Amino acid sequence: MTLSDVSATGAAKAAPDSPTPRSVPFRRRSKRMRKALPYLLVAPAVLYLLVITLYPGVFAIVQSFHNVKFGPWQPAGFANYAKLWGDYQFWGALWNTFVMGSISLILQTVIALALAFYAYRDPWVKGWRIIFLVPMLFMPSAVAFIYKLAFLDGRVIADLLMKVGLLDANVAWQSSTWLSRLILILADVWQWTPFLFIIFVAGLQGQDEEIEEAARLDGASWYAIFFNISLPMMKPIIVVALILRAIDITTMFTNVFIITKGGPAFGTETISFFIYRTGFKFFNFGYASAASVVMLVLTIVIAQLVVKRAFVSARS
Amino acid sequence: MASQRRKTKGENLALRYAILGAWALFCLMPVVWFLSIGLRPRTEIITPTPIYWPSFSLDAWHMIWEDWPMGKYLRNSVLAIIGSVVIDLVLAIPAAYSLSRFQYRGREDIGFYILSTRMMAPAIVAVPIFFLFRTLGLLDTIWALMLIYAAINLSFVTWIIRSYMLDIPKELEDAAKTDGAGEIRILWEIIIPAILPGIITASVIAMIFAINEFLFTLLIASTPEAYTMSVALANFTGGSDGVIYNAIALVAFLAFLPIFLVVVAIQKHLSRGLTMGAVKG
Repeated sequence: MTLSDVSATGAAKAAPDSPTPRSVPFRRRSKRMRKALPYLLVAPAVLYLLVITLYPGVFAIVQSFHNVKFGPWQPAGFANYAKLWGDYQFWGALWNTFVMGSISLILQTVIALALAFYAYRDPWVKGWRIIFLVPMLFMPSAVAFIYKLAFLDGRVIADLLMKVGLLDANVAWQSSTWLSRLILILADVWQWTPFLFIIFVAGLQGQDEEIEEAARLDGASWYAIFFNISLPMMKPIIVVALILRAIDITTMFTNVFIITKGGPAFGTETISFFIYRTGFKFFNFGYASAASVVMLVLTIVIAQLVVKRAFVSARS
Repeated sequence: MASQRRKTKGENLALRYAILGAWALFCLMPVVWFLSIGLRPRTEIITPTPIYWPSFSLDAWHMIWEDWPMGKYLRNSVLAIIGSVVIDLVLAIPAAYSLSRFQYRGREDIGFYILSTRMMAPAIVAVPIFFLFRTLGLLDTIWALMLIYAAINLSFVTWIIRSYMLDIPKELEDAAKTDGAGEIRILWEIIIPAILPGIITASVIAMIFAINEFLFTLLIASTPEAYTMSVALANFTGGSDGVIYNAIALVAFLAFLPIFLVVVAIQKHLSRGLTMGAVKG
């Protein structure tokens, strides 16, 4: 609808013989009011989100320049940021988030694509979708506990591996950084591969069958069809799905909090856990806010550079 | 549609079923494990060697109702979640209507701003939100949970509903306009009934995210007064008794069942909902 449409319908509404008395207040509205209407409709949602994002943003910036422990706020200049710059735990948390996030995301993407590729032409695709969906619907905190029990407290995984002869002794998962990361990655892959799978299957089902059929008649092999036709056509969908998944992976908190507590030696501490620990365990709120501000800036940059483009291209 | 698709040349059906079957097993195994833990006595959970064929016990069932105010946690969860979805719909439906059916300056930027709030890591805003709710005296109340869940899901809900609204043919609206209906009436009498599946999908997804929410709930609900199921689970640790796994597993399984049924019912719309409308499944 264009602006001229709006005014034209406005004129139509001013017709005196409208049979519906309920719309009278809207019909008599002035032209200025008509122009304001779309803004008025969207305003409550935007205001609500501003309170929940802009206010915390400003608050965090102000707080990050203060020393906030238990008493009143003490001005601290750039001290928190300087400390952050030299804090190996902060850089470590960024690195861990990146390493665990990328491994997990790559695994999930490959698995979900492979499963979607096999499932979408299957007569039982609906059944597969329902089964594969199951892990996603368990509460993440419970999933974290169940993995903690299987790997650590109950030693089930090690026992099973010993039974099939892959191991000859118990594993001390918690004393190894990479084994601890493995647990977190595995739990994430188990629970969230379905998210990508559901989207990829929908993407594959939505594409034009005739192109595929034509290629098949020409004698193209399945991998040629998949890599040269299906994948390129699905690219916008894949990008959107990966972005949404990447956002959630980088904010990984629940599993870290319950399974590893960031250990051993901060080896599995994610950035979310770092902020939580600094702020709510050590009550160093100014410092936690400084880390939040850095993350906020990173988020905004990534949002503008990557996400905006992806969502625009997926729509068109 | 799927059954019409033929086998591609060179594809091995046995391989297809081996791969799909293996993943299905991997998906369902921990679920069986949930049930097996939930229905065994506590003494058979953490043992020198794992017990694969435990004796049956309803210990956990009695424990969750008798030793913990489970009913209260459940009530907190349900109230906070329903309240948050209501807030979301009240804010998102007009916003989505504005973003999908009007042309005006700044529309794309406003739409993208709403979308971008989805990208905020909860941890980034956690400290300020904590102080905000403390100032408002809302810490430890389900009101705070309601407000925060609504904020987390608002971008999702708005974009899903907007995507469904974009699909409504303009003719439908024009016809109503020539009859003299105002915008608000068109929204109420034509658009909303037409996009009901979208509204339901958005609500279901919002509910799932709210049930799962952990970090904010952990910070806001510091006493059992406002615990939800999700955070209550993390506190089934009973001090010196250690983690009470069978109760956790049973609660998780019981919470899973209704969610599963609802999601199966909206299966057709799920891919569209999960991508905020970017994929039309």
